[in-house]
Amino acid sequence: MTTIYRPISDPLEYDTFGCHPFENDPATPDRTTRQVFFQRQVADWNVDMKDGSQLQFWGFKDPNVSGSDSPWPSKIIRVKQGQIFHCEFKPTKGAHTIHWHGIEPTPMNDGVGHTSFEVKSSYTYQWCAHQAGTYLYHCHKNTVLHFEMGMYGVLIVDPVTASPDSGNPKYLYDPYDRASTTEAPGITVGAPYAAESILVFDDVDPVWHKLDHNAGMCGDDVGLDKFDPRYFLINGVHNGLTQIDRRTTTTTTAGKNVLVRLANASYSRLHVTLDVDAWIVEVDGRPLRTNVAKGAFAKPKLLPKGTRLEVAVAQRYALWIPKIPRGDYRITGNFHHWITNKKHFDGQAVAKIIAT
Amino acid sequence: MRRREFLRYGGAFAAFTAVSTSFPSFSAAQTTDPADAPTGEEADFDLEIVDVDVELIDGSVVPMYAFAHAGKTPTIPGPILRVKQGDTVRIDIRNSSSRSHGFQILGQDNASASGLDPSDGDGEDKARIEFVATKPGTYFYVDGDNMPINRVLGLHGALIVEPKNGFADGAAKKKPMPYAPASSASIKSLFGALGEAAIGGKPARFPGKAWQAGREYIWIFNQIDPVLCRRVAAGENFSASDFQEQFHPRYFTINGLCGLDSAHDKATCPTGNTGEPALLRTMNAGLATHSPHIHGNHVFVLTQSNANGVPVYQQDLFEHDVWLMPPMMVKDVLLPFTAPPDIPPAPWRMSQEKYPLRYPMHCHNEISQTSAGGSYPMGLVTDWHIDGPLATS
Ligand SMILES: [Cu+2]
Ligand SMILES: [Cu+2]
Repeated sequence: MTTIYRPISDPLEYDTFGCHPFENDPATPDRTTRQVFFQRQVADWNVDMKDGSQLQFWGFKDPNVSGSDSPWPSKIIRVKQGQIFHCEFKPTKGAHTIHWHGIEPTPMNDGVGHTSFEVKSSYTYQWCAHQAGTYLYHCHKNTVLHFEMGMYGVLIVDPVTASPDSGNPKYLYDPYDRASTTEAPGITVGAPYAAESILVFDDVDPVWHKLDHNAGMCGDDVGLDKFDPRYFLINGVHNGLTQIDRRTTTTTTAGKNVLVRLANASYSRLHVTLDVDAWIVEVDGRPLRTNVAKGAFAKPKLLPKGTRLEVAVAQRYALWIPKIPRGDYRITGNFHHWITNKKHFDGQAVAKIIAT
Repeated sequence: MRRREFLRYGGAFAAFTAVSTSFPSFSAAQTTDPADAPTGEEADFDLEIVDVDVELIDGSVVPMYAFAHAGKTPTIPGPILRVKQGDTVRIDIRNSSSRSHGFQILGQDNASASGLDPSDGDGEDKARIEFVATKPGTYFYVDGDNMPINRVLGLHGALIVEPKNGFADGAAKKKPMPYAPASSASIKSLFGALGEAAIGGKPARFPGKAWQAGREYIWIFNQIDPVLCRRVAAGENFSASDFQEQFHPRYFTINGLCGLDSAHDKATCPTGNTGEPALLRTMNAGLATHSPHIHGNHVFVLTQSNANGVPVYQQDLFEHDVWLMPPMMVKDVLLPFTAPPDIPPAPWRMSQEKYPLRYPMHCHNEISQTSAGGSYPMGLVTDWHIDGPLATS
């Protein structure tokens, strides 16, 4: 019988690609003057699950926040489009990185071990977001484990200009050229809003939360092919509380515009439905608008209430609800197995918008 | 491979000519595009199905099936079949495996054969399918028998239909595109914008070169369950539902490769200068849903296959850094090869940064970044890199 052999590779390179990625603490290359500055360190937390058990999670804390640690998931980072961003990162408990998911900086600032380095004790990341939108940041070391352990947070890039709509003072994106920008009916250019619901869906396999930092990196079988999620959360709130916890409920005045930012931080297929009409106005940090000169080739798209939107793992969607009518609205996430597509047992988490 | 020699029809062939009853009847690319009419050009292929052992990233070996150009080295995925819209495509298939197999192109009419018994070795027992290639785009060919088992065990590959007249700028022909200009106004507009430094007197997003026909990469994703591979090779028969129920993949491949191997593979790892856009034809042959995530640039999703495997040209081009790839999904996406847009303003050659600008593409359902229960990132990952400054056309 014919054998298809794998290509010949250099054992040293094999080793640094996987088992022993390059660790370093370089000075930021081509460093320039910053306009916004953040700091992050590595921390761990115990988080309550629905059945009362507590599991260990890891994440990024802001050392400037007193009272030991900031919450899990890690604190939202918010910057403005066009700002030179610096984040001083000081990992502890071994090497980690920060990957600015959806942001496209140089490789040294991308936070991926095998294409640059993992941070041993300190590094200052540098980038300059060119486009307002919804992003994530997360550790990219042994990512399969560190992402599941909760090393992520939301990153939002806001537009530079102020909203022209005083009733809806925030703004999803700059309408850089109104004259050449066409939009779908019902859409106000730039999607101004008064209230914002930011929802990150996650699933948890408790077995993984007992593993070591480097588990499985050097060829041993530690079961990272077996993911059997038991708990389902939004923004770190288990699904027994998501309809009442303030971290997963948004209150607004009826008649205002509401923006919903969705992200899937689970390892499941995530099906989301809203029981109110919404417009998809942004995907993965890129607004939907038609402007050939700017390389934008899509219109906002209506997501009629009750329609299922599948959010791939680590994808983001921004949904815009114009002039929300008075009422309570559910944002329902159903978690399905990534192979069988069967819904997981108890695999549903519901967030709420309350318009009064 | 065009204009192949005359094929003798063996006695066994008659048994294969009946249209398969094991598949739903596909209403394939039903277009009204006049370019779908037969041109009289012919494209001939001679394929063989064989049993193979496959060495995985960790050196372990599993039995699978593979396609080959007849008599040549088998590969997983199978050889790329590239044809032009309107071609009369003839594919002869010989089954040199120890098991019965079939062949089918999803999304093209009259393009399937099933129940091919193992060849008796006299060289005459081939099945032939013949069809006219319609609707430019990317198509799966698979062994459609014993779905999804034979497909997941290695019998899958890509058929590419190139357009008869694929230009975004009409008679000027400076702006090639991989589909007909009428496919979608947005696709035409995007390919027209590639290579333009300014549009309407304003700086535009894609300076550099237009897309060049042939500047493309094919990424076929698959998953391997070594236990099921061995059980099938040992003669066990599974129903589709049993196989799906028990499927527990331990290896996650792109073009048959994992981790370091795919990052090194020239056919997998896109390279080029700033301003040299590349087409990525992405396909998922397996049973898991992948979430490919690319660093360095977003991609524009151009096509998405429907339930029959026919490409649907997108009217709105969503720009994603993660795109959803459920089983059997085919999506063509455009990687614009722009300068990574979130680098602070700087000349091409910054003084301290590491060159080339190398970025990964990996599935973000990170379970797929493992092999045999660990070994991150020896799974479904590759690299791409930007090697030089802005290309000039
Ligand atoms: Cu980490
Ligand atoms: Cu990521």
